[in-house]
Amino acid sequence: MWLQATLLLLASCVPSSLAIYADEVNHVDYHHALLGFPSAQSTFFLKPSPSSNASLLYTLSEKSLLGAVNPKDGSLVWRQNLSRSALPADGNAHTLLRASEGTNALVSAAGDYLSSWTALDGKLIWENWFVDETVADLELLELEDASASPPTKDTVALFGGKAAVVRRLDGDSGKTKWEHLDESGDIPIQISSSSTEVFYVSLQSSARKGYRIKVTSLDPLTGQQNQQQVLSSESDVSSADSVLFVGANTAAPLITWADQSRKALKVNVIGTKQVHTFDIENTSGESISSITIHAPKKLESLPHFLVHYETDSTTWAEVYHIDLKSASVSKAYELPRLEGWSVFSTSNKDANVYFTRITQSETTVVSSASHGILGRWTHQAPPMEQALHSVSEVVARGDTVAVRSAAALISGDWQLIRNGQTEWTRYEALAGALAAAWVEEDIQEDLAHQLQVEGHETLYGAYMHRVKRHARDLQHLPEWLKELPKRILTSILTDEVSNLDGFGIVRPVVVATENGRVYSLDAGNHGAVSWKVKAAETESWNVKAILTQPGSATIYVDDGSSVTLDVTSGEVLNRSPATVKIRSVAVASDGTTPVTVGIQENGVPTESVDGQGFFVTLSDDGSVLGWFARDNQNPAWQFRPAPGEKIIHATARPPHDPIASIGKVLGDRSVLYKYISPNLALITAVGDNSATFYLLDAISGRILHTSAHQGVDTTQPIASVISENWFAYSFWGDVVDPTDAKGYQLVISELYESSIPNDRGPLDSASNYSSITDLPLPHVIAQAFLIPEPISHMAVTQTRQGITVRHLLCTLPFSNAIVGIPRPVLDARRPVGRDPTSLEAEEGLFKYNPFLQFEGKWFLTHSRDVAGIKTVLSTPTLLESTSLIFAFGGDIFATRATPSQSFDVLGKGFSKLQLLMTIVALSIGVAVLAPMVRKKQINQIWKASS
Amino acid sequence: MASLPLNPPPPPEWVVRMNTPMPRLSKHASSIPDPPGYAKKMASKNQRAQQSAATSAPAKPVETDTLKLKKAWEIALAPSKQIPMNAIMMYMSGNSLQIFSIMMVFMLFKGPIQGLINTNAVFAKFDTEGTHAKLLGVKAIYVVMQLGLLCLGVWKVNAMGLLPTTRSDWLAWESERQPLERAYFAFG
Repeated sequence: MWLQATLLLLASCVPSSLAIYADEVNHVDYHHALLGFPSAQSTFFLKPSPSSNASLLYTLSEKSLLGAVNPKDGSLVWRQNLSRSALPADGNAHTLLRASEGTNALVSAAGDYLSSWTALDGKLIWENWFVDETVADLELLELEDASASPPTKDTVALFGGKAAVVRRLDGDSGKTKWEHLDESGDIPIQISSSSTEVFYVSLQSSARKGYRIKVTSLDPLTGQQNQQQVLSSESDVSSADSVLFVGANTAAPLITWADQSRKALKVNVIGTKQVHTFDIENTSGESISSITIHAPKKLESLPHFLVHYETDSTTWAEVYHIDLKSASVSKAYELPRLEGWSVFSTSNKDANVYFTRITQSETTVVSSASHGILGRWTHQAPPMEQALHSVSEVVARGDTVAVRSAAALISGDWQLIRNGQTEWTRYEALAGALAAAWVEEDIQEDLAHQLQVEGHETLYGAYMHRVKRHARDLQHLPEWLKELPKRILTSILTDEVSNLDGFGIVRPVVVATENGRVYSLDAGNHGAVSWKVKAAETESWNVKAILTQPGSATIYVDDGSSVTLDVTSGEVLNRSPATVKIRSVAVASDGTTPVTVGIQENGVPTESVDGQGFFVTLSDDGSVLGWFARDNQNPAWQFRPAPGEKIIHATARPPHDPIASIGKVLGDRSVLYKYISPNLALITAVGDNSATFYLLDAISGRILHTSAHQGVDTTQPIASVISENWFAYSFWGDVVDPTDAKGYQLVISELYESSIPNDRGPLDSASNYSSITDLPLPHVIAQAFLIPEPISHMAVTQTRQGITVRHLLCTLPFSNAIVGIPRPVLDARRPVGRDPTSLEAEEGLFKYNPFLQFEGKWFLTHSRDVAGIKTVLSTPTLLESTSLIFAFGGDIFATRATPSQSFDVLGKGFSKLQLLMTIVALSIGVAVLAPMVRKKQINQIWKASS
Repeated sequence: MASLPLNPPPPPEWVVRMNTPMPRLSKHASSIPDPPGYAKKMASKNQRAQQSAATSAPAKPVETDTLKLKKAWEIALAPSKQIPMNAIMMYMSGNSLQIFSIMMVFMLFKGPIQGLINTNAVFAKFDTEGTHAKLLGVKAIYVVMQLGLLCLGVWKVNAMGLLPTTRSDWLAWESERQPLERAYFAFG
């Protein structure tokens, strides 16, 4: 108790929060700035400025994040989130990214939203919305007759919707120059532009079945229709996906499709009527699983293209040449059939076209003109993971070539291979993180077991056991002694990170991603991936929870299955089969071993458990249910919000939420007792334009407190959190009656047992209580603050004993940051409209200010751009001052929070060396002076007597 | 050297002279008159007379008892004179916990407590058969005065907030009320 009191005193003495120091960046925190899995059609190397020879790697990922990556080290140069501007589309609206060499502009499309960005720094040039239409294809117009290298290039976009529209958009403003409306009801596929014409390719449904390919050529200057051709393909093309390729922006744009049995390849050079048919030579005996066409995308490049055939176990490719004059297509050569996977990519240097093939064991480069291998590099062991697609950049110097390829791997990683060497890996799969948990080291487990044994033995037996244990421990003594000088040296020379490992500061994190992978991030090494493993048996899973035990982590999936992994190696230890679909997992930690129970979609626990506990669940019909753990048939209580409202969020106090002091000491030294109950649930329910926050007692289902707000924009994020004796929520509120405030609001409510100091309410000094028989209502004090931006998620810092001041961790989606608001600032008892009295000032209260500006030092993410965070976790460490924070969902960000400063850690300013030197100097001084003083004293005696 | 017994140094000359009795004056010398103001015999005679008066002619016991009582009263009331001074000092020194005020408070406590412990010793020399009964009252007043000083110290400590008189001082010994039921949340 005294220790706690002392710590509390210490904690309250230091300033509530201080910003991170510059030398702590990358030391206490780490950040993975992620883009998501790069999409195959919208990834390329590009030189952003004509003057520079350096190129950047651009991608528009499957998460609609547009970004530029430095190919040298894989660091992110810039990124933009397109899904933020695009209207929420139907999900599978595809995204496109186009660029042209020599212009500093990228054009991207996502659903109805078109935008152009500078390639060098990712600044917006223009944006445009086309409501009720979705972009089907996008090309940059390369006009030969235009004046030499215009600064920007116009965009031709094809829109689908009620009717297909082709529009030419101005390269500087994004305004429509002309549009061509096609009301025939054809399915728009793609557009393609040559130097003189714009081709609009669509599918015309034929009378019988299948589709005919219709090519309409348009004048690029006016948008007038020049001519139209219909290719008879109805026997082969059954949907838009059947068309393999429509070449874009090439000297000889082409349309390619295959027949349904994949025996013949059909090629049409756009603008001609002729269809070339090639037999596919498939000698593998397996059916072809996919055919991909790779063609260069530049006007000046040679009109060559590569057809990549894939069966389940082998791949091969054929290269075709187009004769521009006769518009005839001929097969030039074949790349050999190889076992296993391979991916091809096209790159060009001036007019030369190179094809790069990456297989499991090697990278090869061939020229499109001949089949001679220009470069071959063997990959290092271990064999490379399967790549799904890649982009390459080939540099030719005389006869030799150098190549770098960015391959998107099946695990969701993005890897750059330069001449066969892996340069960097970006773990883009982490952008789809669903759940995360800190690993529990199993070092202490053995000791805990031993102590347990001792606890159960007789006094003498326990004593002997301990003596034996210590004797056994002596065998480590020589090693310990050997390490001692090194430890002392390192503790003097290095700063704290290595020394605090033993305090649980550096704990690895296990992250489960939506593509069935599990990653382990090493906190001591800037969050580097220490292992990754494919834990799911399918390609995607919906992880509900990760629970860690010492040495292992169990992942619970929504189909009722679970996987247990070894946390040091990632090895799968145990796998339980799928049972019923679950929506969440309850952990009953009643006895010694926690019991996990799945909760079905309708809120019913899958099984009943022995014990006194209660389960509180949400059901899909929008009610909160309470269950006796013993009985999963009939709910103990059911809570439904008012009619017209639906529950959008429910939260409870964190499982580990210790309370250091049960009361709040006021300035006159009286005590306001906190209303403390571990069984509180905070339910958020929204109506059409209202939000109601219900505080429930989870045992009896009684409503303890309700706060309702009108004029709430329910499309904006509404976040809530509950901890200790307070809860907080935020929403966007409009003016309903004149006293209301308009804007983003953060409301903090504190619960007390009584409004009168020194009063413990009706239960008074009772040591325990039952929620069912006698449950007093809390006295609630609330205060609202206006905040500058929305909060999408809330969490609270956790410390070991709860002595340290808590921070309210708020995720700010607008400024891509996580902010930790100190609780003293969010005190609901701050005096309103007057300065605090001396007693209040003594308590630490200061005048209420309705506008809460987020101070720069509160930003845990400081200057980092931490985007897309969905969940923030916090865990205590062995140091009371320090709380670990891990944020995931989009980016990965982890840091340490010290809400009351690190009062229990020696700071960096403390010089151990100086201390040692002082001791040494003092010892030397004593050693030198001692004989001198002794001599003087003796002399004194003798000289005095003479 | 240190092991050898040290010979005591010869006493200085003036010591030797002082210790040796005055030599008898010679006849010639005795006829020399004493210098003016030198009154050897007179002084010694007077001294002896006074000493003999104190010892040989004791005063009446009642008188001495009154004197002793008077003296005892003075001692008993002495602390009361300190009270206003201490009160002003304590008031001026402020209620903050600083080394200076802590030292002053410590001294404030030390004085009265020592005084109380030494109560009997202080009045021992006035304690005779005659004064014994009367001294009890004097002692009581003395104790009350010391307690007054002590109260001043207590008041000061209380003002400094060091006395556990408020609810908050006992908060650490109050425990959280335990619920009989426990809920496990599965909100996902």
